[in-house]
Amino acid sequence: MATTSDSGEIEGFGQVSRTVGTVFRYLLLAATMFGIVMLGVLLLYVANDAIRPLTADPGWYLVFLLALVVPSAAVGWTVRRRDSEAFNFGTLLVGMLVVSLMFSGGVALLVIDVVPPLVALAYAIGIAVPVGLSVLLTGQAHRISFTPRLAATTALFYLSLFGLPGPVGGALGVPQVVPSLVGAIQSIPVIPVDWMMIAAVVGGGSAAAVGAYAAGIGDRTTGLYAATAAFAATLVAGALGPAVGLGAVPAVVVTAVAFVPTGAYAWRGGFAEEGSPLGLVFAATVVGGALVGALAVDALGFAGPASWVDWGFLTSAHSGTAENAGLYPAIGGSILLMATVAALSFPLGVGAAVYLEEYAPDNALTRFVDVNISNLAGVPSVVYGLLGLGVFVTYLGQSAGTVLVGGATLALLILPIVIISSREAIRSVPSDMRQASYGMGATRWQTVKNVVLPEAFPGILTGTILALGRAIGETAPLIMIGAPNVVFNLPDTLGSKVSAMPLQVYAWSGLFASEDFYTKAVPAGVVVLLAVLLAMNSVAIVLRNKFERTG
Amino acid sequence: MSTDDLATDISKQTENSPRELLTRTFFFLCAGLSIVTTISIVVLLVTEAAKFFTITAPLMGVTGETASLVDFLTGTTWQINSGEFGVLTLVSATVMITLGSAVIAIPLGVATAIYLSEYASKRARSVLKPALEILAGVPTVVYGFFALIYITPALSVVFPSIGTFNMLSASVVVGVMIIPMVASISEDAMSAVPDELRQAGYGMGATKFDVATGIVVPAALSGIFSSFILALSRAIGETMAVTIAAGSRAQFLNPLNPASFLEGSLPMTAAMVQLLLGDITGGGLAYRSLFAIGLVLFVITLIMNVISDFVAQRYREEY
Amino acid sequence: MSEQNRDEQRTGDAGSPDPTDDEMLIQTDVSESVERTGASFDRDTVVSARDINVWYGDDQALQNISMDIPEKSVTAMVGPSGCGKSTFLRCINRMNDLIDSARVEGDLYLRGKNVYDDDVDPVALRRRVGMVFQKPNPFPKSIRENVTYGLKIQDKGGDYDEIVEESLKRAALWEEVKDQLDESGLELSGGQQQRLCIARAIAPDPEVLLMDEPASALDPVATSQIEDLIEELAQEYTVVIVTHNMQQAARISDQTAVFLTGGELVEFDDTQKIFENPESQRVEDYITGKFG
Repeated sequence: MATTSDSGEIEGFGQVSRTVGTVFRYLLLAATMFGIVMLGVLLLYVANDAIRPLTADPGWYLVFLLALVVPSAAVGWTVRRRDSEAFNFGTLLVGMLVVSLMFSGGVALLVIDVVPPLVALAYAIGIAVPVGLSVLLTGQAHRISFTPRLAATTALFYLSLFGLPGPVGGALGVPQVVPSLVGAIQSIPVIPVDWMMIAAVVGGGSAAAVGAYAAGIGDRTTGLYAATAAFAATLVAGALGPAVGLGAVPAVVVTAVAFVPTGAYAWRGGFAEEGSPLGLVFAATVVGGALVGALAVDALGFAGPASWVDWGFLTSAHSGTAENAGLYPAIGGSILLMATVAALSFPLGVGAAVYLEEYAPDNALTRFVDVNISNLAGVPSVVYGLLGLGVFVTYLGQSAGTVLVGGATLALLILPIVIISSREAIRSVPSDMRQASYGMGATRWQTVKNVVLPEAFPGILTGTILALGRAIGETAPLIMIGAPNVVFNLPDTLGSKVSAMPLQVYAWSGLFASEDFYTKAVPAGVVVLLAVLLAMNSVAIVLRNKFERTG
Repeated sequence: MSTDDLATDISKQTENSPRELLTRTFFFLCAGLSIVTTISIVVLLVTEAAKFFTITAPLMGVTGETASLVDFLTGTTWQINSGEFGVLTLVSATVMITLGSAVIAIPLGVATAIYLSEYASKRARSVLKPALEILAGVPTVVYGFFALIYITPALSVVFPSIGTFNMLSASVVVGVMIIPMVASISEDAMSAVPDELRQAGYGMGATKFDVATGIVVPAALSGIFSSFILALSRAIGETMAVTIAAGSRAQFLNPLNPASFLEGSLPMTAAMVQLLLGDITGGGLAYRSLFAIGLVLFVITLIMNVISDFVAQRYREEY
Repeated sequence: MSEQNRDEQRTGDAGSPDPTDDEMLIQTDVSESVERTGASFDRDTVVSARDINVWYGDDQALQNISMDIPEKSVTAMVGPSGCGKSTFLRCINRMNDLIDSARVEGDLYLRGKNVYDDDVDPVALRRRVGMVFQKPNPFPKSIRENVTYGLKIQDKGGDYDEIVEESLKRAALWEEVKDQLDESGLELSGGQQQRLCIARAIAPDPEVLLMDEPASALDPVATSQIEDLIEELAQEYTVVIVTHNMQQAARISDQTAVFLTGGELVEFDDTQKIFENPESQRVEDYITGKFG
């Protein structure tokens, strides 16, 4: 880093070199900006093709200018001048609402079209019960030693998910004696209404998360109140949903996944200690402006842009004509693939990182693993696709192009990235903390569990989200493992054929190559893909910034 | 607390308690998975490629159709239907993409690195670095589409004879894609140059320009060089952008003839995708040719990664 | 008194000041350094080192250290930086095991049990030896969780609330934090954090309390609070403290060991004797500030 400037030179000696220096400096700046500007221009083009802003009524723009842009700018400017912290909070709140709405769309897709509500409920209870019991067991750690606890926990999970004797018995030909908890729930004679079951699963999860968040800020009672309020809100949304023209199920999902967490964050930032209601005012202006604008253009009859990215595009399948082609199965495929990739790569990647940072002795084998991981990160993605094809499909006999094969292949692809970023996060945990823990007589695992992982978690999460962002844009490995170019139905099991957003975009731009697809479906697909990536990356960046401030 | 108590107490073995063993084994297996992955890649590519060539197929117990190793390495025609597997055709296209993207990424990347490391204010860096990261974060299939739909028509204004599928637009987007890689690794190398060297330069009355070009860049040269190799290995392995933009007709082109950039051809990665889109049966000749190309690709990128690592080690040792 | 002790030391059994103490185990040959530096005190020995040598890679950090540390008192280790005093402290609870390049030779007895015996598990050992570090390092958890950390990792039951209160009272922190036990330990001031670390270390009731320059990162007011606390703690615990601050050693310790460059223990005796009438000219030079 340079520390001295040109100033202080004797006048008359630096003329020539200063000109060269200035020219050089601006050349460098231009070079730096080249790629960024070029990408910006391309993005403008594609957004223009996909959203077609020029097709909108001028009145439409006028309404939104008056309802959204002008008030937001005015309030935002005022708030920022008085309290920039509050402005940041307000911006974050709006961003959180947008991202969580997108996320709730994904969840709604899962609960409506992929997992039947009863199955979801059965598995949620079937997992929650043994988890709860094993937490109780852990509380008795001073009375019961580890091995019996492990055995009991395993038995609880097995009983709950498979019953007795379960698949082990099935392999031996012993008939099922005790039904599993999951099975028992699915065979109950009286089935509650769909939306109630979904409210129990999704709303229960979100209420638990909000409760834990509130308990972290206040005390246990606050957490309990918050969780109850969150769950009540979900139920109310389910009951009122149909009245406002939204189905009960979507209303439940959107409330539980988007409104409740955003509300909790707003409550914290707005009213809890050191909070700033000003930020809330700004956020309310933006959201309110958008709502008022939407109602106003509707009432006044101004048409918005005739965007190719519309509800139909997001909820319909591929079609032979570009106008009717949609991305729905590909979106669902990407979501399922991401879930599989995350479930595989997160534990494996973090585990490897923990081993290399906390356990591995400094020897040749460790160094070899080290070099190996950095080389794996440089292996072309198409070779990973070959690995998936050769190992999973040809040798292990999985059928080609399924969610499981695709997810496993992509997981292997991003594993080195997850490992490298997790190692960095683990390395940034101050060694003071480890010393303190070891000094208290903690074992390695206790130190890892109690000190290292909690401290490194935000960093690990950031790295994993960024790696998932890489996986969601990958196309070549999916082609290699034989993922079909066109899928008309959502995959609903790990063994279903799967397409993905980038694959669908490739299919449209490569196989259905025509002017129509080039100017309609492909730009729309690109915009959706980039919007999802942008949302993921901004979550990662917000997490990273929060993390850097405290660490 | 009596002495005996303490003696037994501190002799309790915690290291091998079931909990410690279980967790340590799990973590070890996770780390071991990376080795398993590498071994699987190597074994898979080598065995499948061995089944492809006439000379090695008998060793693998394969009798059916095979291809000549010599023709594979020296032939300049890639025609699967007529059984002509001349990988040089594909390699020539890959080399062109690599050269073309290097022409874009190397000067721009190094210039960006110099700007970020020597000139940019802290605030400018905090904006520019994430913006550059976005360049590397856009999915390659999107870059391919950009090249095909927006860049090629723009280029046809300058080069009227340019084909719909051409190496030039593919090289441009691949080049833009790898700028961040060159920039960030080179910048790391430049930041590692000790400040004393710069101070010494300024002390001699050098300007910032002199210091940047005369002291910092030479001192960071090995790091910069390693960034080139790594970025180019990335360009070689790049798949979707070249598949979409460079076309599907394999033809041998002279990489050193600028005019051939206006034509399309089939780089190795694109050939692999194209093979998969055709009807290939597991175990057939076309299926195995996939692994033969994969092996060539893997070996090239591995060698480049190792060289880059080796060069990077040197600059780390220097300071 | 110490003069007399030293005479006994020269003639008598230097290794085991208390013959009733498990003599079989700590019966070792008396090296020259023991002759020179090993004082014996009128209290039971808790820690006794015999010919401890430590290497970091090829660099020797400690040379033939032998000393007996008496119970329920404050033993200070002083010396210039890099003299090995912290290294010695870390030999007592085998924290050096965590450094790959460190190698320890010799014997170190804790209440008669050699902690470098093969059957000793360093992790189990550390559960019986508390340690407080130079920089306050509370975990980013609540105050309550910080204090109960040692109990939890040992899977110890008991009335945690009572232990938390008791430990915080002993660490002279209870009055200041009793209403915020569920808030993060990181929200406390530096001095409070260090007292929290002390509370954390004494909660599992350790045999010895090791302190590695516990006040060097604190302001004068917090330092004096910590010093008062250490003197209090010595009524119940054996405290071994490393400090580079001579005045601090003189103020709070009962015995002082002077380490000088090269990892050598030059003199170990009653604090008063060390500061008023040291045997060694080098110690006198160091204390009067002629070098170091």
